[in-house]
Amino acid sequence: MTVEAAPTTATAPSAVADGVTARIISPRRLMWWKFRKHKLAVASAIFLILAYLATIFAGFVAPYDPATRSRNLYAPPQGIHFFDEIGQFHLQPFVYGWKMTRDLETLSPVYTVNPEEKFPVGLFVRGEPYKLFGVIDADVRLFGVAEGGYFHLAGTDHFGRDMFTRLVYGAQISLSVGIISVLVSLVLGLVIGGISGLYGGWIDNFIQRVIEAIIAIPTIPLWLGLAAAVPRDWPPLYQYFAILVVLSLISWTSTARVARGRFLALREQDFVTAARVYGASRTRIIAKHLVPNLMSYVIVTLTLAIPGIIIGETALSFLGVGLKAPTVSWGVLLQESQKVQIIQFYPWLWIGPAVCVVSVVLAFNFVGDGARDAADPFSR
Amino acid sequence: MSSISVQAEPILSVRDLKKHFGGKKTWSGAVSKTIRAVDGVTFTIYEGETFGLVGESGCGKTTLGRCIARALDPTGGEVVYAPKEGGAVDLASLKPRDLRPYRQDVQMIFQDPISSLNPRMTLLDIIGEPMVVNGLARGEEVKHRVGDLLERVGLRAEYMVRYPHAFSGGQRQRIGIARALALNPRVIVCDEPVSALDVSVQAQILNLLQDLQAEKNLTYLFIAHDLGVVEYLCDRVAVMYVGQVVELAETSDLFARPLHPYTEALMSAVPPANPRAARAPRLLEGDLANAANLPPGCHFHPRCGYCVERCRTEEPELREYSPGRFVRCHRAGELKLDGVAELAEADL
Ligand SMILES: Nc1ncnc2c1ncn2[C@@H]1O[C@H](COP(=O)(O)OP(=O)(O)O)[C@@H](O)[C@H]1O
Ligand code: SF4
Ligand SMILES: [Mg+2]
Repeated sequence: MTVEAAPTTATAPSAVADGVTARIISPRRLMWWKFRKHKLAVASAIFLILAYLATIFAGFVAPYDPATRSRNLYAPPQGIHFFDEIGQFHLQPFVYGWKMTRDLETLSPVYTVNPEEKFPVGLFVRGEPYKLFGVIDADVRLFGVAEGGYFHLAGTDHFGRDMFTRLVYGAQISLSVGIISVLVSLVLGLVIGGISGLYGGWIDNFIQRVIEAIIAIPTIPLWLGLAAAVPRDWPPLYQYFAILVVLSLISWTSTARVARGRFLALREQDFVTAARVYGASRTRIIAKHLVPNLMSYVIVTLTLAIPGIIIGETALSFLGVGLKAPTVSWGVLLQESQKVQIIQFYPWLWIGPAVCVVSVVLAFNFVGDGARDAADPFSR
Repeated sequence: MSSISVQAEPILSVRDLKKHFGGKKTWSGAVSKTIRAVDGVTFTIYEGETFGLVGESGCGKTTLGRCIARALDPTGGEVVYAPKEGGAVDLASLKPRDLRPYRQDVQMIFQDPISSLNPRMTLLDIIGEPMVVNGLARGEEVKHRVGDLLERVGLRAEYMVRYPHAFSGGQRQRIGIARALALNPRVIVCDEPVSALDVSVQAQILNLLQDLQAEKNLTYLFIAHDLGVVEYLCDRVAVMYVGQVVELAETSDLFARPLHPYTEALMSAVPPANPRAARAPRLLEGDLANAANLPPGCHFHPRCGYCVERCRTEEPELREYSPGRFVRCHRAGELKLDGVAELAEADL
């Protein structure tokens, strides 16, 4: 009997030699190759990883404490300069200090550059002490100016608090809400969708009708109603978890639908039939044959669900029923900058959080698109 | 393939096997139509033979094969299996726990080389899992056995660390065969194992199946939708039409002289051995009857060229026409039907 040609190596970029020494191309590697082709998705993934790292090392990345107040209220962002006013180049960049005057009509502060005050900006400078991860004492900050100077990359708010710092700390809440809600959705969606798809019958029907009912209610009003029910005098941590639960209650439905659909499709695959015929237990079939084959699809759904949740938190906080000061989140920051006066005269107070929300949401969407393509590595 | 010896023992006796889908009340109160995918099938398979099952796509072959391997729970009837130790058990009615010891003896090979292998498992896991699940081997022993099986089906033992996507259709079928062999079964239900393959590869897989049969004294239930493969491989053949056996005979008899008009129609679709052989094409016209809404009388009558009044009202029984030959047709024997062998001979 003749043996057919050696295995083809699918979409391997470099031809893989036959034999024991050949690199084993796992489905996961195939997915990575497919994902890697989407440059925008890869760039977005790197951006998101950096953003999440920044929230973990918030004390290090932010130049100040989120509650520290400076003398300069409503100060606009300070530009970084390499050339001074006479055109001379400085290897170490610097920022100018502010000279404040008041508008005689509106009494609002007006800042002009003070050419006499130059604060050189350095990396890894000693600044205010902080606790890394809430336990380790530290005082080295990623960037900053020497003591006596000030540097507000994204301006300051009405108390003179550094906006860049507040954006970093806001990210801790806004980004974690997305991830944690999605993890809750993952568990709920997999379990409920799995039960629906595996057992079928009236259980399936019941679950599907419940999901349809939830989906049929417009999201924002439902969120508003639920969020409004959270007692206003709860401590910030409780409120945070309450909002998490409110957001998760809706996002699990899409995961459940995907999980159910995949379970139904996979159940009919011949390799599952084979496993039944050789006597594999139900648990084993679910754990080794069904779940590994649907995880990639579930992860895609989840990635695409995160932006919705981040927007949800922002919207709720913005409308005043989500998180509230002193908690800092992007939604809270936007909520604080709702006044016409701020929108008109101090635009950096809303542009900062708005840019953050938009860029993170877009990045998640790009990653999700790339992941959707990679989820089925065997398709062309 | 040698004809079965006279003293061969029955290994599987299928009696009045039924599998119906649907027909249940849905939550909204509507009752869906019952699909009679398998509707009263009876035959006996002897140890060591290759028993063919042919019919158009959708006539219930896969469903029947799966009921026998208990991948599906039959709606009714019996599948009496004769274990090695002697005695007889009805696989169709056993509870899952009692079924376990016999599962190893009846394994399956699938039609679709893509969906039959879990893309997330290496060949070691795919072929090794049946052994692990049934406690036949563990650890290094599994690797050993998987390596041996891979080599036996014409692949290299080193391939066991790879995933299925790295293999061609024919190679994937070999992997599926190795998995079926992992439990040393006595009976293998081969559900169209070559119909998804290139013609050039088909012969290699069929040869492999024949070699394995001779070596391990396997019994095959071989499902196919084209008669060419069946003629080449099978000792006896059952022809199926919408869930029922319409003819059953030794392969040579069937091909020499079909007794059922449906068998004749299927044969007219087989290209003649001699391409110059002149033969009136008697192509199968019309569509397969709907298993949810069967015509009265003979289920084949709307498509039958020999249909008479009686056929429209009275349903024919499967009767023994001559020893070992069964047919479900009112006019069996009185018709002069064309076989394949006859035509080829006439042309010489
Ligand atoms: N799970 C199922 N639910 C409903 N109908 C089914 C199911 N499986 C098969 N059928 C129906 O049973 C009939 C026989 O199908 P099948 O056994 O796959 O035929 P074959 O293998 O001969 O092509 C077809 O009409 C098919 O639609
Ligand atoms: S019973 Fe009548 S209709 Fe049916 S196959 Fe025979 S001749 Fe044709
Ligand atoms: Mg089939």
